[in-house]
Amino acid sequence: MATNSIRVVIADDHPVVRVGLRNMLQADPAIHVVGEARDGVEALELARSLHPDVLLLDLAMPNVAGMEALREMTAGNLDTRTIVLTGLIDKRQVLEALQLGARGVVLKDAAVEHLSACIRAVMQGQYWLEGRPVQNLVQVLRDLTAQTAPAPRKTFGLTARELEVVALITEGCTNKDIARTFGISEETVKRHLTNIFNKLGVGNRLELALFALNHSLLPVGEDN
Amino acid sequence: MPGTETPLTAEVFDQLRQAMAADQTGFTELYREYLTDAWHTLALLRAAAPCRVEEIRQRAHYLRSSSLVLGARKVALLAGMLEDNARTSVSTEDDALDRIAVALREVQAELAERLGSGVIPADKTAA
Repeated sequence: MATNSIRVVIADDHPVVRVGLRNMLQADPAIHVVGEARDGVEALELARSLHPDVLLLDLAMPNVAGMEALREMTAGNLDTRTIVLTGLIDKRQVLEALQLGARGVVLKDAAVEHLSACIRAVMQGQYWLEGRPVQNLVQVLRDLTAQTAPAPRKTFGLTARELEVVALITEGCTNKDIARTFGISEETVKRHLTNIFNKLGVGNRLELALFALNHSLLPVGEDN
Repeated sequence: MPGTETPLTAEVFDQLRQAMAADQTGFTELYREYLTDAWHTLALLRAAAPCRVEEIRQRAHYLRSSSLVLGARKVALLAGMLEDNARTSVSTEDDALDRIAVALREVQAELAERLGSGVIPADKTAA
């Protein structure tokens, strides 16, 4: 082993994956696998006791899941740089992992091709995503945040008050209940309902309730 | 589409073989371990089907993981579909497991062609 080799711990619950990754990395003389963990608890223990330069971390592990281990690593101010191993790119997970301090994300099926380069890049202070070093992390985070933001709710042209009426209809309220709730007359409630029916193309309260449930038509600000 | 995938991704296999050039016996052993483990996981998936969806999700993830790393891409894709389905469904379809079995048999056949019959787990030589 070279004296200045990169010391790596592999954390994955699957023994075949660990053996496969270890063998891949052994081909790189600059990298030395110093430990293997079967779950998040072991990963944290090895990170604390061996102080590896890099932790390769599977996100879906038993006991302490990878994301939780990553959170604890960051909270514990460990110097180890973490690279997340994943089966598929879930943008929300990538964003969360980066926010928790991960330095790279490598797809498992691209490990043989990219892992060594990723480890080297991360050791040089770079971030690694989608098979290459990241040039502008701020932009990547901004893009990921935009891509993972929930889509704006479709309201089908209903006003805020009409949406509130719809919500009460789905709860089974009568016109009288609705009128009392909003302090308006039953005539006004009927007018709202007529407008709602016309805008949504439904013919009765049952159809309206089903439409609302199918299209998540809830008032602005209500948690869906 | 899983149907258009080759059983084994040549690039992954070749690069891993190159990485383990000094230990070809270990390389064959690694793939035999993979096959043994994959068949075992498939048996556990069958036992869990159709309704123990959380167990199915975890085992499918496990199978997908090793399949990805060793280049068994078609098995990985099918296991991934099973895993995703288990997240949103209350049951799984039997033919999903049958498709994985077919893909695994294809991987096994290709590995036997590349590495010799010694790569096939002892209890699967007749499969």
